[in-house]
Amino acid sequence: MLWLALYFPQLPLEVFTRGRQQAGALVVVEPSAGREQVSRCNGAAQAYGIRPGLTLPAALALCAGLAVQRRDRAREQRALDEMASWAYQFSPRISFEPSLLLLEVGASLRLFGGLPRLLEMVQRELGQIGYSVQHALATTVAAAGLLARSRPGCQASTTDALREAVAALPLACLTRDPGARNLVRHIGLDSIADVLGLPRPELARRSGPQLPQLLDRLLGEAPDPRPEWRPPRHFSQTIELLGEIGQTMALLFPARRLMVALCGFLRGLGGGTQRLQWTLMHRDHPETRFGQGLLEPSRDPDHMLEVLRERVERLQLPAPVVAIGLRVDDWLAFEESNRDLLGGSGPDGPATSDRALLERLTNRLGGQCVRGLRCHADHRPEHAWQLCAPGELDTADAMPVQHGRAQPLWLLAQPRPLQVQQSVPQYGGPLRLEDLPERIEAGWWDGFDVTRDYFVARSRAGERLWIFRDRRGDGWYLHGVFM
Amino acid sequence: MMPLHGKTGRGRVCTAMQVVDLDELKRNGALWQGRRSGLAPDSLLSSGWPVLDRLLGGGWPRAALIEVLSDAHQGLSLLLPLLARLSARPRWLVWVAPPHVPYAPALAAHGVRVGQLLLVRDVSAGQGLWAAEQALKSGACSAVLAWPAQLQTAQLRRLQLAAEQGDCVAILFRSVRTAAQGSPAALRLLVRPVPPGLQVEVLKRRGGWGGDSCIVPIGPEAMDDGLHSSGASSSSHES
Repeated sequence: MLWLALYFPQLPLEVFTRGRQQAGALVVVEPSAGREQVSRCNGAAQAYGIRPGLTLPAALALCAGLAVQRRDRAREQRALDEMASWAYQFSPRISFEPSLLLLEVGASLRLFGGLPRLLEMVQRELGQIGYSVQHALATTVAAAGLLARSRPGCQASTTDALREAVAALPLACLTRDPGARNLVRHIGLDSIADVLGLPRPELARRSGPQLPQLLDRLLGEAPDPRPEWRPPRHFSQTIELLGEIGQTMALLFPARRLMVALCGFLRGLGGGTQRLQWTLMHRDHPETRFGQGLLEPSRDPDHMLEVLRERVERLQLPAPVVAIGLRVDDWLAFEESNRDLLGGSGPDGPATSDRALLERLTNRLGGQCVRGLRCHADHRPEHAWQLCAPGELDTADAMPVQHGRAQPLWLLAQPRPLQVQQSVPQYGGPLRLEDLPERIEAGWWDGFDVTRDYFVARSRAGERLWIFRDRRGDGWYLHGVFM
Repeated sequence: MMPLHGKTGRGRVCTAMQVVDLDELKRNGALWQGRRSGLAPDSLLSSGWPVLDRLLGGGWPRAALIEVLSDAHQGLSLLLPLLARLSARPRWLVWVAPPHVPYAPALAAHGVRVGQLLLVRDVSAGQGLWAAEQALKSGACSAVLAWPAQLQTAQLRRLQLAAEQGDCVAILFRSVRTAAQGSPAALRLLVRPVPPGLQVEVLKRRGGWGGDSCIVPIGPEAMDDGLHSSGASSSSHES
């Protein structure tokens, strides 16, 4: 077994800052000995000389505009849980320690093209999700966690390497139990190597059973069962923004973080999604909800972002946004290769890559404004065509209704009544009928029955028009235009 | 016909400043060559109407902006053979803000696969322009037809650039009132209905003369001819 430990040293800070591209000076404080003490501070705060360990009043004295957040361990745990959703793509065996994620990757290394590539991907995506990470690799879960905290980058993939890697670590890293630590300190042992040198029964007699047990687990000599994490049924994550965002385009930054997390989650499930539900939370206003549709199941954050950009451009914010949430309830089985290899949906349908345009247009203009067209087998001109989803395969296309006569290129949305003078229909002057009429009688079965004689007519200006005489109402109408 | 070509004998024009490849100038249509089209055959698309091809010096310019000016949105029928051919490709035929409903059975009867059509309708002028530009640029369309309300010259130039970028035919149907406006379009036609079809006058043609006109016979009987010749490849050298 090979455990990859991901330790998030700045997690207490990053749960607050990751919604923002740039944040002002911020500290996270924790109570310590009855006083608020700086636990973490970001780069902007460090520039003012603020360091972890300062008391809050001292920090405020250094920077008057300092933003202060209380450490929120529940939120940190939630963040770890969300990262587990993302990490599920690399390993089905995931467990936690505080600020730590542990993945069993021995089985999946080959799948991801070896350790360097896996690590590269982990690092890159976590950066995009908004967390800085340090990692370590070890054959036991306890050692992996310990090394990720104390010796980041360490890779101990054999038992000997593991023993060597942990030996140099101070004992204080291993346990916080003051009894055990005091005891070994009193007999002059500092590092883990010193303790390992002692006979185990002797150590157990002096320190109690806990320390030897820890050592055994560390070296893999005793089982170390951990509760196993299970992926959630839905993806639902929220990023609280530090302060408020009033510009819609600024929402794309946190939105992308959510999308990268989502796409990791979808890869873990072997799925893709077509429907993203966004929620924008405001301080004193009901939340704004909107959906984002994709024409095909996807798990590509860049593609999703591109589509969202179009959607967000025409979004009106009722109030500044304090948090952004993404929810995906259902997903479909998704083959990554579909996209890359086939590229088209058959000889008649536009290629998959062309759907990017469709998505752009649809998301910006709305689905009602971007339509496809198809023929429909009906003799009534109003019913001989239909709007449809763009690119829908047109089954009637192969055999349109044969009129055997000229048909106009354009059909008026509504037949337009024509003036009649001396029983001759007028359209900028009298119309000259060019041909014998074509009679269309249909529709008695669905309540929209027509009985019409259609003519091709020529106007004084030379236009060729499609007009009909309603045989029941006896009026003349313009219905289509040639040319 | 081509005096410069004859003088150097090697297809090059030498000036003190630079050496310009004459063939390249001709290919790009940057060199005026009288009645023959300045454009290379592969940059022209046969219109499917022999009489129109002759007028246009070979056919419709490809990857360029074409303006069709008329009184009442006429001229679509001139494009049917081209649209029929283009619709065989797995690319969209985008129609932005058409004035009426394109009658699908008629299009199908002329060989246009209506499944390739993408209608952009009920949009504002700005949205329509945006959609046209996006479609042209995307490389996912073989032709973009648009019926814009009003356009500035700068907007026309944007569309022209987008058409080149996406290798897409851009056809704008505009009012005759815009004929006086300057335009960067590669081809500007004035169209008016005259029995038995449409009279087409060239207002501007890149690499060629304006001012010529012809009558394209568009009627029930003439249509068949148009369809048949649409299968022919783009032949640009008819003298």
